[in-house]
Amino acid sequence: MKQTEGKIGIREYVAILLLALGTKLTDDTPSLLYGTAKNSAWISMLLIGILTVVPILFLLKVFSVHRNKNLHELNLHLFGKVFGNIVSLGMLAFGFSALVLDSATYVNIISNIYFTKTPPIAIYIIMGIVCGYGAKRGIQHIGSAAWITLSYLKVTLALALFVAFTKGNSKFLFPLWGPGTKEIVKTAASKMSIFADFYFIGIIAPVVNSFKEFKKGTFIAFSFVLVEITIAIIIYVMLFDFTSIEVISYPFHEAILYISIGFLKNVESIFLPFWLIAAFIRFSFYLYMVLVLFGGIFKIKEYEYLVPVMVVLIVFLGTSPQFATYTVPYLREQLLMILSPIFFLLPCFMWLIAKVRGDFKNEVKKDM
Amino acid sequence: MKLKRICKVCLLVLLLLNVTGCWDQKGLDRQVFVIGIGLDKAKENGKINVTYLIANPEVGTSQTGGATDEPALMTVTMRASDFISMRNNANSVVAREISYDLLNVIFVSEELAQEEDFMRFLYTSEKDREIKRDVILAVTKEKVQDFFAKNKPLFLKRPHKYYENMIQRGVEIGIIPKSELHHFFRVTEEDANLFLSIYATAQMPTKENKYRVNENDELAGELKVEGQTNTGQFLGSAVFLEGKMIGTMTGVETRIAMLLHDAIPVRDVLTVFPDPFHENYQLTVRLIQQKKTTVELDLKAKPPRIHVTLPLTIDVLTDPSMENPVENKKKIEEIRRAFEKLMEREAMSLVRSTQEEFKAEPFGWSLHARKEFRTLKEYMDFDWMKTYPDMKVEIDVELRFGKFGRQPKTPSYEGIRD
Amino acid sequence: MFKLLKKLTGRKQKRINFKDTLEKQSNQKDQSVSRQIDVNIEQIKKIYQFPDNKDVKFREFRIGGTGKRVAIFFISSITDVRTIEDSAIKPLIQTTEIKAEIKEILSTQNVTSLSEIKEVVTNINTGNAVIFADNATKAYAFECANFQGRSVERAENEVLIKGSKEALTEKVIVNLSLIRKRIKNESLIAESITISERSQNEVFMLYIRNVADDQLVGNIKNRLETLNVDAIQNLSLLEQYIEERSFSFFPSILYSERPDRAASFLEDGHVVLLMDNSPDALILPATFWSFFHTPEEHYLRFFFGNFVRLIRASSMFITIFISAIYIAVTSYHSEMIPPDLLLAIAGSREKVPFPVFFEILLMEAAFEFIREAGLRVPNPMGPTIGIVGALILGQAAVEANIISPIVIIVVALSGLTSFTMSDISLNYALRIIRFLFILSAGLFGIVGMTSLFAVGIFYLVSLKSFGVPYLAPMTPNFVSSGDTIFRRVLKNEKFRPGYLKPTDMKKKSNGAIK
Repeated sequence: MKQTEGKIGIREYVAILLLALGTKLTDDTPSLLYGTAKNSAWISMLLIGILTVVPILFLLKVFSVHRNKNLHELNLHLFGKVFGNIVSLGMLAFGFSALVLDSATYVNIISNIYFTKTPPIAIYIIMGIVCGYGAKRGIQHIGSAAWITLSYLKVTLALALFVAFTKGNSKFLFPLWGPGTKEIVKTAASKMSIFADFYFIGIIAPVVNSFKEFKKGTFIAFSFVLVEITIAIIIYVMLFDFTSIEVISYPFHEAILYISIGFLKNVESIFLPFWLIAAFIRFSFYLYMVLVLFGGIFKIKEYEYLVPVMVVLIVFLGTSPQFATYTVPYLREQLLMILSPIFFLLPCFMWLIAKVRGDFKNEVKKDM
Repeated sequence: MKLKRICKVCLLVLLLLNVTGCWDQKGLDRQVFVIGIGLDKAKENGKINVTYLIANPEVGTSQTGGATDEPALMTVTMRASDFISMRNNANSVVAREISYDLLNVIFVSEELAQEEDFMRFLYTSEKDREIKRDVILAVTKEKVQDFFAKNKPLFLKRPHKYYENMIQRGVEIGIIPKSELHHFFRVTEEDANLFLSIYATAQMPTKENKYRVNENDELAGELKVEGQTNTGQFLGSAVFLEGKMIGTMTGVETRIAMLLHDAIPVRDVLTVFPDPFHENYQLTVRLIQQKKTTVELDLKAKPPRIHVTLPLTIDVLTDPSMENPVENKKKIEEIRRAFEKLMEREAMSLVRSTQEEFKAEPFGWSLHARKEFRTLKEYMDFDWMKTYPDMKVEIDVELRFGKFGRQPKTPSYEGIRD
Repeated sequence: MFKLLKKLTGRKQKRINFKDTLEKQSNQKDQSVSRQIDVNIEQIKKIYQFPDNKDVKFREFRIGGTGKRVAIFFISSITDVRTIEDSAIKPLIQTTEIKAEIKEILSTQNVTSLSEIKEVVTNINTGNAVIFADNATKAYAFECANFQGRSVERAENEVLIKGSKEALTEKVIVNLSLIRKRIKNESLIAESITISERSQNEVFMLYIRNVADDQLVGNIKNRLETLNVDAIQNLSLLEQYIEERSFSFFPSILYSERPDRAASFLEDGHVVLLMDNSPDALILPATFWSFFHTPEEHYLRFFFGNFVRLIRASSMFITIFISAIYIAVTSYHSEMIPPDLLLAIAGSREKVPFPVFFEILLMEAAFEFIREAGLRVPNPMGPTIGIVGALILGQAAVEANIISPIVIIVVALSGLTSFTMSDISLNYALRIIRFLFILSAGLFGIVGMTSLFAVGIFYLVSLKSFGVPYLAPMTPNFVSSGDTIFRRVLKNEKFRPGYLKPTDMKKKSNGAIK
């Protein structure tokens, strides 16, 4: 009854976030942490979580006074036309490269582990078509699809992690402080942009039913994802010791290759479709956000028609690196390191400017 | 409207291009399944002799289906650089694509395992997607080629079941360790423990069948077995240090190591102790480990001390001396003390041999030690492997009595021989 | 595309006869009833081509008393002739009153006066009888329609064990009576709308005035009134005229032959369409759950109903996926199968000539053939064909090594489980989708299946039926009775579906406990 056209409710919003961020534990994001933080990567993760609360809080505060603006309009409003456009353009560049690199990683995973003889471009085309179709449908439908499939995906993930937990040995987590507290903090600081997605959700902020739901949904999703990723990181270390974990590129898939459930010896193909659906929803969402941002900057109203162009661009960019297995993770790491300080500082800037401009004077207290 | 149509046609054409592929499709009848791989030393440098044990899918297929008189197994031995390139090498004689989906065991001959470079060959298994990390590693006394040739198990409709069951049962009673590749990689990389691997052979015993209290106190191949039964023996373990085999352990020693290692559950252990009341006979007991082994470390002392408590419940199942210890509290106490002393002595002798002969321990105590350090660097500096041989180890066995067999009491010997 | 080719090759388009005879026909009727009865009689006889038209009847007589000439016209095959004789002709002939109007003499249930010939013709066509009187500018029509049709029988397509077994029939009056038997409320409105030009088919729209959303009702009425066709014989054709997406796999209007289903949807705020010649009702708007549910699950107790739901949900899953999973697993992901089964399948596949994909397609096609043939087979030969089909296709094919036995099990399972879907449109939809999944699995294994599934989910979520999202209330979320895959205890299903925007949200069901 409360549904008006074009809005998504808190359920769908949280579902999208849970899937888009939760799948980060299934690709090579954990191995980025394991590289430097070794077996204490989970402490790094918790630190990252604590640090990310700051920019999220600032961002929400700024949005609370500009309820109907999305991120790009907010940038224009705060930083002025020229500088705002530059900021948004920068964000678009980061978002787009994250989309290309992440999708290239996922195609690599499928190509290396599941479909070894298929040329990666075929897998990429399929992924491109499905995600393009999803992005074209719009955010309401991505949200609905996320909500429908959420419980099944999370249950199977929990099952996989639980079985991996029983095969693991908790003593592998010690020594507790791994490579030393300095290393842990350094890893946390440089890889903070794992949660950079929370900055980009500003793009769909006006689409959520009410600001209260937006705020509540963001916090619920954030805490859940943080707990999820930390538990997964702990379980991976429990299964593979600190020695092996540095060389394994995709710990989730190695884990499901190793575990066996009862009489079924190789269960990775059972978890594959669930993981794939989560990946599709994640990339449809990313593609949609890039499209909206693009349409906002270049003032294109009907951004749905850009979908085929974008998909083709992404497919070609994703398959172009010469030594994909090396360059893609390397580029990804570089991107994350550059993005981390920006992600931390930009919302603080925005809040400062909003405060200086006096936008907070007209704060409406009752909806907070 | 026209634009939409053109787009749809283009999409279909694009999908059609994907159709021309089906690259990863492999029909089940175009594959052949390898259930065991054998690695032998080759004369040339950098090469090994690989043996495949291939299962015949037709045998034992359906209840009604065609009864073939083809053998259930096929073996192929060739020289190769590793067992991934071997997949194509073998296609010169094997008609179908080699698939490692059913691979269960990798056998290595003792000769190859004692090489420095053996580890390089084994690490190739990490690169192939079809070799899972839970594949078992086993060492054979003779060349694997000969092992496969001589090992002709009976009741063998499904060869993969033979190896699976043999290993599973052996691990359950503790006479062989569960040596997965997963553990091998971890132990080798952590560089603090010994890795125990299954020891097997199909050779006839060479030594004479000496008297020993526990029949399992031997290696595979030394048990004298007569009758029409399987020729292969799986007993005892091969000891690996840093990826190279340096020695062996008998079945009983392996079992003690399994009991002392707290991460490996051992069930259904039937063992034999000398009867304290009668020299010539032994009491059969069942050992059940209900609580975990506790390990207390004191690493600050010089030399560092380890105190291990092994709580066990024993069921005394036989009473060949017919003394009826059940009735007498003093007798039970005597049995308990005797058993505890015996077990502690055996465990200590094993620990001593690991300290002196192997210079590392297979009991997983380094994992307990990890808790005592703050950072990895401290742990690495401590260098468990270097400090272990000098440590003072105390093992405390605590026994509790469980059952005394189905019928606790037996009639007294004198009463019968009256 | 073919039109393009034809144009290019210079073929002349066929000339179609565009004469509109319907126009001419209606121009004939554009007159009013004349004072002179002979003019009227001639007019009507000409329109109906009397006496060529054998069942059009005409009786001329004089009213007793005044002696006025009257003529009565009716079509005997669709009227109740006894009523005409007893309630109209007899009293008129036998009346002795001089001053009485025809209206007062007729002892039928209702009398309407007509002034246009068009109305007269419409009345005669719909089974009423019309009386012309000399020196009167009005003609009088009264209802005596009696169309022949089937009587109320058992439901054949939607079979329940626990519940009523009546089904709707081809007579709309009987259908109305069956529905009104269940909803005895004055707000249950049955509006009638004529939708076709030549056949003058009438559609009855039912809704409960203070529950259903007025906008929805207006929208549907608008749709029906703007139809411009010659003939729509029954509801199945009407469904295809008013549905929004003709090329979608999934139906957007529910089609049911049970009056209890129609009544329960009415109570929720839906709109029901009834028509003559259709032994069923159209219920709109419809969501995916309306197709998935059967009334039996509500008639059973909580656990039993949910158990049935569980079985039907799993069988829906099995029917779509099992053949595709078999192809994907044996061709692309053979490591998933337990080793014994794997060797068994590999062993049995050696003797078979075709690849798995082709085998499955062959068997599925054969199963569909049997199914269609089974529907059309005349009754005396029915059982024989079934046995022959099972024997030939099953046993002999395996013995001849054309297909492996596992394929028979897989295909039989997928066919059997599709029968748990009682709604015929959803049944067909699932069967077609199954083939799509088989195709995608054959091309790309599990990745292909999952991609198709993701596309399907995106598509399903975006479907709308008359403004209602297809998967509501699962998503987007609306206040509702919470009945999607599993149902709740009946006492807790308190709210009407919010996506219909009903005027009254709460059903009064606080249990019987005050």
